[in-house]
Amino acid sequence: METRHELNRRRFMQGVALLGAVPIISGGSMAQPQNDASQIPSGVVPKRPLGRTGVQVSAMGLGGYHLGSAETDQAANEIVAKALDHGVTFYDCAWEYHDGLSEERLGKALRGKRDQAFVMTKVCTHGRDKKIGMRMLEESLRRLQTDHLDLWQIHEVVYENDPDLIFASNGAAEALLAAKQQGKVRFVGFTGHKDPEIHLKMLSHDFPFDTVQMPLNCCDATFRSFETHVLPEVNRRGIGALGMKSLGGSGELVRHGAVTPEQGLRYAMSLPVATTISGVDTMEVLDQNLKVAVNFQVLAATEMQALRDQCRPQAADGRLELFKMTTKYDGKIGREQHHFPTVQELPI
Amino acid sequence: MPSTFNGTIPLRAFGRSGDKISILGFGGHHLGEAPDAKTAVEIIHQAVDGGITFYDNCWEYRRGKTEVWMGAGLKGRRDKIFLMTKTCPHGRDASLALTMLEESLRRLQTDHLDLWQVHGMAFENDPALFIRPNGAAEALEKARKDGKVRYVGFTGHQNPKVHLGMLETGFKFDAVQMPLNAFDANFRSFEQQVLPELNKRGIAVLGMKPLNGHGDAIKQGVITAEEALRYAMSLPVTTTITGIDSLDVLHQNLQIAQNFKPFTDAEMNALRDRCKQEAADGRYELYKLSLKFDNPEARLAHGFPLDTQQSEVKDMLGEPENTGHPFPEKQF
Repeated sequence: METRHELNRRRFMQGVALLGAVPIISGGSMAQPQNDASQIPSGVVPKRPLGRTGVQVSAMGLGGYHLGSAETDQAANEIVAKALDHGVTFYDCAWEYHDGLSEERLGKALRGKRDQAFVMTKVCTHGRDKKIGMRMLEESLRRLQTDHLDLWQIHEVVYENDPDLIFASNGAAEALLAAKQQGKVRFVGFTGHKDPEIHLKMLSHDFPFDTVQMPLNCCDATFRSFETHVLPEVNRRGIGALGMKSLGGSGELVRHGAVTPEQGLRYAMSLPVATTISGVDTMEVLDQNLKVAVNFQVLAATEMQALRDQCRPQAADGRLELFKMTTKYDGKIGREQHHFPTVQELPI
Repeated sequence: MPSTFNGTIPLRAFGRSGDKISILGFGGHHLGEAPDAKTAVEIIHQAVDGGITFYDNCWEYRRGKTEVWMGAGLKGRRDKIFLMTKTCPHGRDASLALTMLEESLRRLQTDHLDLWQVHGMAFENDPALFIRPNGAAEALEKARKDGKVRYVGFTGHQNPKVHLGMLETGFKFDAVQMPLNAFDANFRSFEQQVLPELNKRGIAVLGMKPLNGHGDAIKQGVITAEEALRYAMSLPVTTTITGIDSLDVLHQNLQIAQNFKPFTDAEMNALRDRCKQEAADGRYELYKLSLKFDNPEARLAHGFPLDTQQSEVKDMLGEPENTGHPFPEKQF
């Protein structure tokens, strides 16, 4: 098993070298975190309602991509165990993360603790049909060692024609409905990091999405803004909002001095969302996140506005939100399945 | 190609002004790619004779070369045509914009412009910088009042939302320029989001990038040059500006424009559909997509960092002919 993981990781690292398309550090690892877990206050991460589902989830979620970037299976295990101990119940993953390694690690880490967690993973049809989606679901369930998902989302809705492909006859939307009907998933949603217009186009189909995932951070607030254009609509419909990329995806907001990790996380978690998904690949990053999230209280409106204003000059050209501006965060599989040229073939 | 000489091109109303201009406009940037001034002058002469009445330029194109060449080509023909150039304060003060106007007038050898536009609205804070006290909006007002320009407008190629932000400033624009082509129809679309609003307000619409800026989609065989031009000209616009760098390109464009027949709605839809899949990741509209296509001058003016590895920054900083001095080269 170890060998296979090593192989997967190598293959993944080759992918990184080729693509230059994958985060190299976790959401919070630019924090220069103090390695002192004792500063985590006693208490737990508060829970919030997930839209109109009747379910409550922790206000901070554990991002599954970075679980695959952790040094070893053991490290990933310890991260999940400690997160659970402090009340993190929301666990994110995706079928295509690290060729399945993220799902396998999450499955192992949750063995015997499945009922303490709200498990989400994503289906990666990228425009292909329902049948492929259902096959991915079976594979995800097997890797995650569970008979059902709490939430199953369509991954990476980022291209202008994605809504058309997803809602085409026999498309991914039908897979969501079928999986729900078969009792294999409790709730369904979609994710994307590119363009608020594409999210709104998805919503315009009035499909019964339970959740929608989107980038939410201090720069997004004033640049091609999901916060301004999508979040109010999602809330209006009673859909559970899931925030991501609170620090820019790879800590860009922190690295370039726009915010401290604490400011970035607090801003994202203070928005009207169910949870903020943050990637964790080391115990230091987890501790840093837990210090913010345990006993979390939302920022005042004036503090939120001050953070928006603080980031405005660096937000205006989008250079810290590379997931909106470049192909850096667009997956290779997604481009292939859309019959787009590879990133290397693009003149950008 | 004698048929293209002394021809006529259909005219359309320039917004609500009463002026009329040719449905094909002469893009000034590409004029700088002509091998020398003599060729550029000949291209302009044949363009005027062939019926093109709308001429586009910009203060910052090729450090002034294209304005100088166009001025030379239009000498003695100024009153036959409608002349536009752009000012490039990129968020800076009105006084800078007006200094650029004086320089443009001198280079173009004229005492007035028919249309003067603020160049390259690209960034989310551009509308706020434009309308602020002492911003470029005041320069447009003053130039119009002083009779140095008849009409005013703005241009940009990046984001329909920024265009809408400019309209929301409440400033009275006579013209707005933006990319319009069969790919735009399917991707972050100016056609869908901005064009109807301009039509509603009676603002003259100047389409650009009918061939996607670089003609890559044509080279890849997705669409022909004629289809692309006819698509753009069939939209409810005043003119379609296309770059002309040689007599061959001029003649090809004159043929299409002189014999222009608008596509039917069904033909327009068929073209949109044909380009839909290719348009969806924006790779044929890199001007909307990539930081690397930002104008480095605009980035500097905004205080945004420059990546010296960007191809366009390299062009700006490293071209052998680029000494940093304006055109024509001063002799020291």
